[in-house]
Amino acid sequence: MSDDNSSTRRGPLGRLYHGETAIDFYGRRHYGFIVSGALVVITAISLFFSGLELGIDFEGGVAWQVPASPTLDSEVARSVVAQNGVEMANAKVQTLKSGELESIRIQVGDQSSEVRSAVQAALAVAAGVDINEVSVSSVSSSWGRTITEKGVRALVVFLILVSLYIAWRFEWRMALAAIMAMLHDVLISSGIYSLFGLEVTPATVVAFLTILGFSLYDTIVVFDKVKDNMERFSASRTGIADIVNVSMNQVLMRSLNTSLAAVLPVISLLAVGSGVFGAVALREFAVALLVGLLIGSYSSIFVASPLLTVFKERESHFRNLRGLHASGAELEHMVVTGNATGSKKVRRQTEVDTGSSQASPVAPGSPLTHPPRPRKKRRR
Amino acid sequence: MTRRRLAITLLGLVVVVLGSLAGNIVAGNEPSLGLDLRGGVSVTQEPVGEFDSESLDLAVERIRERVDSLGVAEPEIIRQGDAIVVNLPGVDNQDDAIELVKVTGEVLLRPVLLAQVVDGLDPTTNGVSTTVAQTPTTTVAQTPSTTDAQTPTTTVAQTPSPTDSSTTLPGGPARPITASSVADSTPTTTTASGLSTTTASGLSTTTAVTETGGPPGTEAPSAEAPVPTGIPDPSDRAATVLAQNADGTEYYQLGPAFATGEVFKGDARADIIGGGWGVRITLRDGATGADLWNLGASRCFVKDTSCPTGRMAIVLDGVVQSAPSVNQPSFTGGVDITGSFAESEAKQLARVLRSGALPVRLQVQAVQAVSPTLGGDSLRAAVISGLIGVGLVLLFMLLYYRSLAVVLIIGLVVSGALQWSVISLLSRTNGLALSLAGVTGIIVSVGVTVDSYVVFFEKLKDELKVGRTLRNSAERGFTSAWRTILAADTVSLLAAATLWWLSVGSVRGFAFFLGLSTLCDLIIAWFFTRPTMLLLARSNFAVGRRILGIGKSVLTPGGSA
Repeated sequence: MSDDNSSTRRGPLGRLYHGETAIDFYGRRHYGFIVSGALVVITAISLFFSGLELGIDFEGGVAWQVPASPTLDSEVARSVVAQNGVEMANAKVQTLKSGELESIRIQVGDQSSEVRSAVQAALAVAAGVDINEVSVSSVSSSWGRTITEKGVRALVVFLILVSLYIAWRFEWRMALAAIMAMLHDVLISSGIYSLFGLEVTPATVVAFLTILGFSLYDTIVVFDKVKDNMERFSASRTGIADIVNVSMNQVLMRSLNTSLAAVLPVISLLAVGSGVFGAVALREFAVALLVGLLIGSYSSIFVASPLLTVFKERESHFRNLRGLHASGAELEHMVVTGNATGSKKVRRQTEVDTGSSQASPVAPGSPLTHPPRPRKKRRR
Repeated sequence: MTRRRLAITLLGLVVVVLGSLAGNIVAGNEPSLGLDLRGGVSVTQEPVGEFDSESLDLAVERIRERVDSLGVAEPEIIRQGDAIVVNLPGVDNQDDAIELVKVTGEVLLRPVLLAQVVDGLDPTTNGVSTTVAQTPTTTVAQTPSTTDAQTPTTTVAQTPSPTDSSTTLPGGPARPITASSVADSTPTTTTASGLSTTTASGLSTTTAVTETGGPPGTEAPSAEAPVPTGIPDPSDRAATVLAQNADGTEYYQLGPAFATGEVFKGDARADIIGGGWGVRITLRDGATGADLWNLGASRCFVKDTSCPTGRMAIVLDGVVQSAPSVNQPSFTGGVDITGSFAESEAKQLARVLRSGALPVRLQVQAVQAVSPTLGGDSLRAAVISGLIGVGLVLLFMLLYYRSLAVVLIIGLVVSGALQWSVISLLSRTNGLALSLAGVTGIIVSVGVTVDSYVVFFEKLKDELKVGRTLRNSAERGFTSAWRTILAADTVSLLAAATLWWLSVGSVRGFAFFLGLSTLCDLIIAWFFTRPTMLLLARSNFAVGRRILGIGKSVLTPGGSA
């Protein structure tokens, strides 16, 4: 790192704040790929061996929820349900806390409506509450399948449409990189759910879809910058690695800001909503959102953009420039000025001009053909 | 862009937003809450086996009718693909709910044992001549083309008409009830209020009806015996049931069904037959068609004990659609139903018969009940934690962007007002309900809106850094930020649209709110942020201030301080 330039004297946070970071994302792409690869492998293993725990909305089944009372704890509830001839081998009995209220949720496979009502009545008696206090949810297994199938179909159609759109608006390599990053998000998110045995409910799916949209949005903002810079640098011999690096650094603060702006409400939802108030339905959302958001932020920086670089390097225009990319001062120069320098030229320049600040503010190839007008002196 | 045009744009948006906000508040529109937020029962039904979409439409109509007749507040009846989702907020007994929405779509043909007209009707209201009590108004006759020999003559009256789905309340417009074998009706036993269209369960007892009866020529021995003491299930074919017609002007005691609407081919159509509107339909061949029909028809024709009135009721979900009398013992090929139908009535009857020919068999696929306390808790938690989260974001933005964040905050407020107005309006007009998924979508969408600002502010910073003036930077920054925002929002809109079209359940609700908030984001960016920022950049206010937290030192690229 050179220190011939006032802007580099800031601390790391200051540079981040002023958009003057010079992180060599391209040079470190392998770390991202290794981490992601490892996560994908773990996901595959976990999905293969333990699978996903799907909620009743996808598999069909019945769930009763009854307020807990002195006469009814989860053991009593279990036996009450079993007495009605319900197979309890795969049953799940949970105690849920929702603020002051504590309730017990019993979830079993598909049951006939008679059994549903009988258990509802029995639970109400056991808990000493009105029958209407016991809520029952049931989903037939065929309906569960329909929901799953429709959801998957919608996702596939969505992926195709989005790829077409990005290919049209940007280019197909960007579409490929964005979609791969998104699939990576889906895979790893479901891997986390599989690994920790979290239940997948419609709320989870909704939350994941939000995240997919968000991560895609994030990726597109980065790609938009890349496209911008590709035009800007088109006249100079600048490698795609440099362009992506510059773009990433330029939008880094924005990416972090956006992720933070998205994560803050989610953390609040998780901490305040489900922690303090104990709203169970909110926890499902918040956990999925948080998981997805973190992975989405990670992937748009460490997966999507490096992938794009790898794809673009095969293009004839950039092929010759492979292997050469700026880092450190050169990269910083490009990030701060937003001007192409061409790595060789900068290298020469930094050798010659070390310690001086006489470098022309306008580099060859910049769309700005003349130096910007100096700011007028204003009265203070 | 002149300053004037920018100011007008800004003013226009503010007026529109404030106007719609005020309009909604004055009209008392409020976002209605979904089941998961206020408790209630949701029942999802899906047709199984073969059906046609017209039958399904009819089934939805029937469900709506039944739900409306019960007076459930803000019911939501949605068709999602082939599935019918009925959301009944505030209903806490799920068995009642299931019973309410269970329509079979099955048309039953039942002999009329007794018929009674509700009192107080003015038979002249509809311009049909009803001078003689026995004047036939509706008849079933052989379609002429195939039957010259047969003489279409006899008949008994009927209340012509299944009306459209709107009315189920008794006491509607009077219908030409002529046949009415029951002259001496005793309205007390059949108070209209006791009868909803759903079932005849409100009718006190069988005896009440039999007493009122005594129709001429009807000893009605069968009328007393087979009636069960409990509430007869109208869909039970073997039972003797009580029913009324669609507008509640006539009550019937109906014998066991001898056939279903499946004896007909699905070709029923309204037509002008013999000078008036009627319905023409073809019988299926063989044991499941013409034979079954003729068995019943011949009994009614001779008025034996199983069909003392000689009339045959066409019943859909416990509501008598028409009860024509049979005027010949045997039919081949086609059947004509004629009477004093209006065109719309004939068409509706044809529709019922068509759907009865291939009834849609709905099966309850999912039932979800949420207790009101649970729903309320979720809502409170979501709102409070959402507000705290948004507050944190705003605090962060304020620290980061300093005075510029004020524009962002006002933008969020305007966006919130806009969304509230749209949701309130749609709640009122389209029965949209805000679910937990929706609330979450909105909270998350705050992130999207904030992001649009962040993209813009960062571009602005870039431009300023290159050394452009604030005014110039704002314009250039917005132009390039708008491109980015447009690209990114298009993807979100694509997502919302695809999910909305192709998925079911809560994902669909979420997709709607995602689409809505994305649109709001675009509107705010173009009509609020752009004029505000451009005007601000030109004004004296921003001149000389450390806007965006950028010091002067970086204003010259790569330069030394």
